[in-house]
Amino acid sequence: MFQTVIGALNQGFLVTLKLFAITLAGAIPLGLVVSFGSMSRIAPLRYLTKTVVWIIRGTPLMLQLIIIFYIPGYILPGGSPWRGEAGRFTASAIAFIINYACYFSEIYRGGIQGVPAGQQEAGQVLGMTKSQIFFKVTLLQMIKRIIPPMSNEIITLVKDTSIARIISMQEVIWAGYAFLKGSHGYSGLQWPLFFTGVYYLVFNGVLTLLFGWLEKKMDYFKS
Amino acid sequence: MSILSVNKLEKNFGRTVVLRDITFSLEKGKCLAIIGSSGSGKTTLLRCLNFLETPSGGTISVNDQVLFDAADPSTQLESQVRMKRLHFGLVFQSFNLFPQYTALKNVTLAKELLSKERPDYKANKRHILEEIHNEGKELLKQVGLGDKMDNYPYQLSGGQQQRVAIARALAMGPDILCFDEPTSALDPELTGEVLKVIKGLADKETTMVIVTHEMAFARDVADYVIFMDGGVIVEQGPPSQVIESPQEERTRHFLERYSNG
Repeated sequence: MFQTVIGALNQGFLVTLKLFAITLAGAIPLGLVVSFGSMSRIAPLRYLTKTVVWIIRGTPLMLQLIIIFYIPGYILPGGSPWRGEAGRFTASAIAFIINYACYFSEIYRGGIQGVPAGQQEAGQVLGMTKSQIFFKVTLLQMIKRIIPPMSNEIITLVKDTSIARIISMQEVIWAGYAFLKGSHGYSGLQWPLFFTGVYYLVFNGVLTLLFGWLEKKMDYFKS
Repeated sequence: MSILSVNKLEKNFGRTVVLRDITFSLEKGKCLAIIGSSGSGKTTLLRCLNFLETPSGGTISVNDQVLFDAADPSTQLESQVRMKRLHFGLVFQSFNLFPQYTALKNVTLAKELLSKERPDYKANKRHILEEIHNEGKELLKQVGLGDKMDNYPYQLSGGQQQRVAIARALAMGPDILCFDEPTSALDPELTGEVLKVIKGLADKETTMVIVTHEMAFARDVADYVIFMDGGVIVEQGPPSQVIESPQEERTRHFLERYSNG
């Protein structure tokens, strides 16, 4: 029994991890684009971006996920583009990436604006280009500043992936709950549900160590 | 022949007039000190020279080449500003060193990046970078920090940081080196080492514009002094005139307040 449960939970957690990794890979760069939009000198672009960020941060991720997964089926002539388990995953990934990019963008914006204006001016009077100033001067100072808030957000993301269960994504909590409800010939099993928590705890423990290590790495300078 | 000439320069922030009718010139190898109380427009003038602010009127010329003319949009192209800035160097009041780089890297970084635009960069990369590296070391020795090259800014005192900042500005080989109250952010016991370096540069005939509150320093080192008040030049001339026997009431008033602390 133990092996059956662990096997099923492992499979579920793999889905959790996949969603986590893809969300990060998409939201980290997209967040930078969004943050540039919200700091743009072009007013319409700035307002548009800020409105989008307001909507995404102001409504539940669960609602966004439900809309992205179910609504296309009602309005597209060909029916829902999200078919099968892969479709559920893609829909989840899109919702998560957009949602987290908006949160990250605000952290980035804080990080960039927190770097003193004098840094940019020093780069300017030394004849650096805008992109040289960003990549050679601002970026590392910004990264150092945003590690603590980013680690918070990323740990929340690990747990938020469970929201994808609302569109029946078979992630680890779904897998644990299945044994309570009846699956693999078992029903009424309570411990697998509790045991899913262990996966989260261990993984977030590893992440915490990783962020601690990163913060230490950045300790060689002070800004 | 004057290396820098500024003619009828003006700057407004919205409706606030910050600079009005600023006209002066500076000869090669000379040191100009700009004095005046806070809010008189001294710093804004330096920032205009370094293209950190765009003047609202007037012209700025270096070596008889018009770098900026408010009446001629072709002198204001964003794409050319970067190269025009290189005529000037600027040492900030708050140093603004790059915290993530060592003292030496602070000095060499911009030059390294700029050298990538040289046509022979690919062929001579190693040689070019080595040269920049050596020049950087030489400059740090010149400001008395030969033993601090591998230190990060936070490991240096304010005076040492400011000396690195001076070396960093010198590394780009500017025609005119500008200082914005270079000792105002320093503890009194650290101002001497920075002023000494600036004095050394003056002795070597580096063309400089210094905004300062150090009256004694302005009197001893500057060849020419400008006193500003309320965004205009009230009085200009050699220090023996402006500081020792000012003609204008406002200058006298300012200097009196200064000597009385």
